[in-house]
Amino acid sequence: MTAVAALSDDVARVALELPLRANLSALDNIALIPLYQRHYGVSESTRQAGAILDQLGHPEIAPLRDPDMTPAQRFVAKLARALILKRPRLVIDRPGAMLYDVPYPEFIQQLAAQDAMSGIWEIFDFSWNRDLYNQALHSE
Amino acid sequence: MHFLAASIESLGAKLAGWFTVGYDTFAFLTRASLLLLDRTTWNHATFDVVMKQVYFTAVQILHIFLGYSLVISWLIISIILSTARDFGLTAFASEMTIRVLVLELLPFLTALFIALRSGSAINTEVALMQVNNELDALAHCKVPPMQFEFLPRMVGGVISVVLLAGLAGLSALLLAYLSIYGASIAGFEPFTQTMAKIFDFRIVAGLLVKCALFGLAVTLIPITAGLETPKKLFMVPVSVLRGMMRVFFAIVAIEVVSLALKYI
Repeated sequence: MTAVAALSDDVARVALELPLRANLSALDNIALIPLYQRHYGVSESTRQAGAILDQLGHPEIAPLRDPDMTPAQRFVAKLARALILKRPRLVIDRPGAMLYDVPYPEFIQQLAAQDAMSGIWEIFDFSWNRDLYNQALHSE
Repeated sequence: MHFLAASIESLGAKLAGWFTVGYDTFAFLTRASLLLLDRTTWNHATFDVVMKQVYFTAVQILHIFLGYSLVISWLIISIILSTARDFGLTAFASEMTIRVLVLELLPFLTALFIALRSGSAINTEVALMQVNNELDALAHCKVPPMQFEFLPRMVGGVISVVLLAGLAGLSALLLAYLSIYGASIAGFEPFTQTMAKIFDFRIVAGLLVKCALFGLAVTLIPITAGLETPKKLFMVPVSVLRGMMRVFFAIVAIEVVSLALKYI
């Protein structure tokens, strides 16, 4: 865990201990990145954030705030935030801690299989959960 | 002997604690001031948070605040007028009203009002952000919390307190005129002469600086108190309690220093 937390700046992390801003909607949480890092206007940043949610197949979560989301929706919002960072590596840190309401290897696989998704998503998980991933791979 | 040593030790620890808090607050203020002058700080998102802060702090409560300041002003003006009449000092009533109400009491009460409403909310929000790791998450995304969360709140707080105190002062002036001279315009000249005598550049500048310092106190101190919160949820109420006590002492200290500079 310490090793994951200490990953360098070129890694976008999706982790339980990196929550969304609770008083902002999912869309605003994602739009913050282009707004602050790339100095786009509000409308363009919001458009980019909406596009990422569309690509992940969950546009319905855009207006929801953190407390109003299910764990799976919260995970999608965090993943979208990590994707919009456009860093070379994307690490999903212990997905079981965030996705306790869905069979998570399949859920992540479905998200990764969306047309517009590219790059490699690395998953850091406990070794005793390896079977879950094997089952998901074999069920393909 | 042991009791004396323990007392000195405890006093020393308290003094060291106060010094640390004071140092951290001024270090934070210095960092914020430097960023305030940095052009890259000011983008759409920062302006948006400033606007929101002004809206939540000043606009949303405008009707309640105006009602509260008018009632207080009316009471104080009535007391001053009746006392002035009793002592045959009616000629000084308008000057007394302006000095007591507009220069001292209304800015002080405005600061207390904003501290109770917005300062406590800011303290709680920052403490919860600290406990829930939201600040770490923002830092991971390279969204600097100072520019996005803290600086706009401080700027918004200063703007709100200055505007609300100004508005309360103007409404008190109007109320004072109506209470002293009624709806007639006969008293316009002596009243404006009194105003001109009191509101010289030094007094107006001092009033503005005092209101700005009040605005800074009701936002800066809650933010730094929130940031000091250990990452334990049960420490949030303790953080708010400490923060609000510090805000109260800061407001009183600013008022006392302002009075001392003006009248001693």
